[in-house]
Amino acid sequence: MKNNVYRELQAMTCLALATVALAGCGGSDAPQFSANMVAIADAQVPVAQQQELANVLEAMYGTPDEPFVLNESQLDIKLIRAAAGPVRSDQFGRETGLYRRHCGHCHGTTGDGQGPTALVLNPYPRDYRQGKFKFKSTERAAKPTEYDLERIVREGVPGTAMPSFDLLPEPQIKALVEYVKYLSMRGQTEIDLINAISALGEDEQLDTSRAVLVDEILVPLSETWTTASEKIVQPDKPAAEPTSEEKLASIAKGRELFYGTAANCVKCHGPSALGDGQTNDYDDWTKPLVEMAQRLKDQQKSLNENPDIPAAERNQQEAQIAFAHEVLTNDALPPRNAIPRNLRQNVYRGGRRPVDIYRRISAGINGVPMPGVGPATPGAQGTLKPEEVWNLVDYVLSLPYEPASTPPRQEQLKFSQTQQY
Amino acid sequence: MGKFWSLLFLLVPILGVACFAVAPWYKIWLPSDVSEHGHMIDHLFYFILWLTAVVFVITEVALFWFMWRYDGKGQYRTAKFTHGSHSLEIVWTIIPSAVLLFIAIYQMNAWADSKIRNPAAGPDGIFGTADDMPPMLEITARQFEWRLRYPGLQAKGKLGGDDDIFVVNDLHLPVNEEILLDLKSSDVLHSFFLPNMRVKQDAVPGMKIPVWFRATEVGSWDIVCAELCGWGHYKMKGRVTVESREDFDKWLEEKYREQTATQDTQPVGQGDTE
Repeated sequence: MKNNVYRELQAMTCLALATVALAGCGGSDAPQFSANMVAIADAQVPVAQQQELANVLEAMYGTPDEPFVLNESQLDIKLIRAAAGPVRSDQFGRETGLYRRHCGHCHGTTGDGQGPTALVLNPYPRDYRQGKFKFKSTERAAKPTEYDLERIVREGVPGTAMPSFDLLPEPQIKALVEYVKYLSMRGQTEIDLINAISALGEDEQLDTSRAVLVDEILVPLSETWTTASEKIVQPDKPAAEPTSEEKLASIAKGRELFYGTAANCVKCHGPSALGDGQTNDYDDWTKPLVEMAQRLKDQQKSLNENPDIPAAERNQQEAQIAFAHEVLTNDALPPRNAIPRNLRQNVYRGGRRPVDIYRRISAGINGVPMPGVGPATPGAQGTLKPEEVWNLVDYVLSLPYEPASTPPRQEQLKFSQTQQY
Repeated sequence: MGKFWSLLFLLVPILGVACFAVAPWYKIWLPSDVSEHGHMIDHLFYFILWLTAVVFVITEVALFWFMWRYDGKGQYRTAKFTHGSHSLEIVWTIIPSAVLLFIAIYQMNAWADSKIRNPAAGPDGIFGTADDMPPMLEITARQFEWRLRYPGLQAKGKLGGDDDIFVVNDLHLPVNEEILLDLKSSDVLHSFFLPNMRVKQDAVPGMKIPVWFRATEVGSWDIVCAELCGWGHYKMKGRVTVESREDFDKWLEEKYREQTATQDTQPVGQGDTE
């Protein structure tokens, strides 16, 4: 009897040791990039193709521990290696794994903005995979410059959970910026590939030749990054330091524009500029989720309403809907509305310099409903003239110091009347 | 074997004292003090440390002696139980009470200097007047950074104008000047801690708490958060740079220029190379 117990104990110890050894040395817990399941479910990529997709991405970009980039991506692998991998420092105190140390818990290993702390944050952390960035110096649809990303890392984004990393040494910030670009390019490549797969015919296979992957997908993508600095919105400098009368006149003009129909800021930012206008819109990261949920609902409804759909087809559709629902719950954060900024708080997410506000107004904010009123491309005709944008800048910057009761009552009434039509 | 345990227990006071004795060699002792009032705090710290050290060593040695002397081996006398000694109890209550009372009175001045005698409150020390010293800046702690706001250059030291200068995590202060700052929090409890200035003050949401001190050396040191404020508590590291008045003014002007920029200055090769 005693012998049996002993033997059992021995077996258990062996098992425990084996488990530890496997976990410790097998590397089975090395972090992996997670697939963009929302896009995959949306495009209904078959399972076999999903594996193919993962293989192609790994061949082009490596893994979180062993990143890899093709020359055509124009990314600096040395910087990426410093930011990638597990959190460590060598005998000289040089740190690697910077991304996981500083960014990963919010932005996620994949850069999908779904790290462990993401759910409790408002706004959610940025998902880099769409390649859209909000606060930058370039035209609305263009990529940010490296300097723009660096500035965000240094200054943080006031009013959000993104803190300042100003005290990190310069090379570390450079490495992190390069890694963000890397994650963004990887994510966008993934979306491009999913689109390519969904465009395939019945029994076509994804063409994984270099001509397609590199020349058709990667090169144009990396060009959007390398040419970003040609697309900077550089405002004309307003005339020398304005007198206080000029400034007041400019503010008054800006105020008119704010309530006017051309700029129509009042529509979203509200008649009192408290961000209480239209608040039921979504940003580009959330819109696909909401639309997908709506589509699933419609699909379910049409299934319910048509009893003569053959059972095989019905089962297939139901499985599809169930899968998509699962993806929406597990691989995406619950949708939230895009709330227009309260302009009276004296908090400016993309920076408080007049040039920052000018760019927000002129180019708009990529990925969110905020439109640009400046020229869409250099030389084109914008909705507002540069002087008028400057008037708006002056007005917006004066708003935190303007009593909230200043908008005259008739103006608010006028607004509520126009809303009724 | 019997004496082994008492010797082992003797190691407690020996190693305990040794830890303190070697700490300065390993640079794990107090950080350098660069403030005017810091020596008072340090003095109180050392005073209490010595007091507790002496009591600790005496207690430990007494414990050791009893273990050694009344070791179980070779002791055949029956134990004698008593109901305690009233006078002994009075003694060991009165002595610590007296010591505590002494510390309470002895530290009063240091506490008042760093927390009550607000330099902003004018000569009477309590009630403020209009020409009292305005705060040099306002610090708002938030998860997980220090947002600083200095009065603008035209505002003559008054905060809240439209030319306030906003900085994050990078605190600059003039040397040898009375620094008065308002501490706020925009979310949860934080604690503004300047180890080298011997300044530590909780930031409480909804409160504006004045903090004052005087830095006596030029250099740069850490700002840390000393109150667990959430999962990113460790990220709340800032830097305080103490510099001459001229350098400070120059820095502030530079920040003001940056903040009012109507053109961008992206580095060459990146941005618009004019």
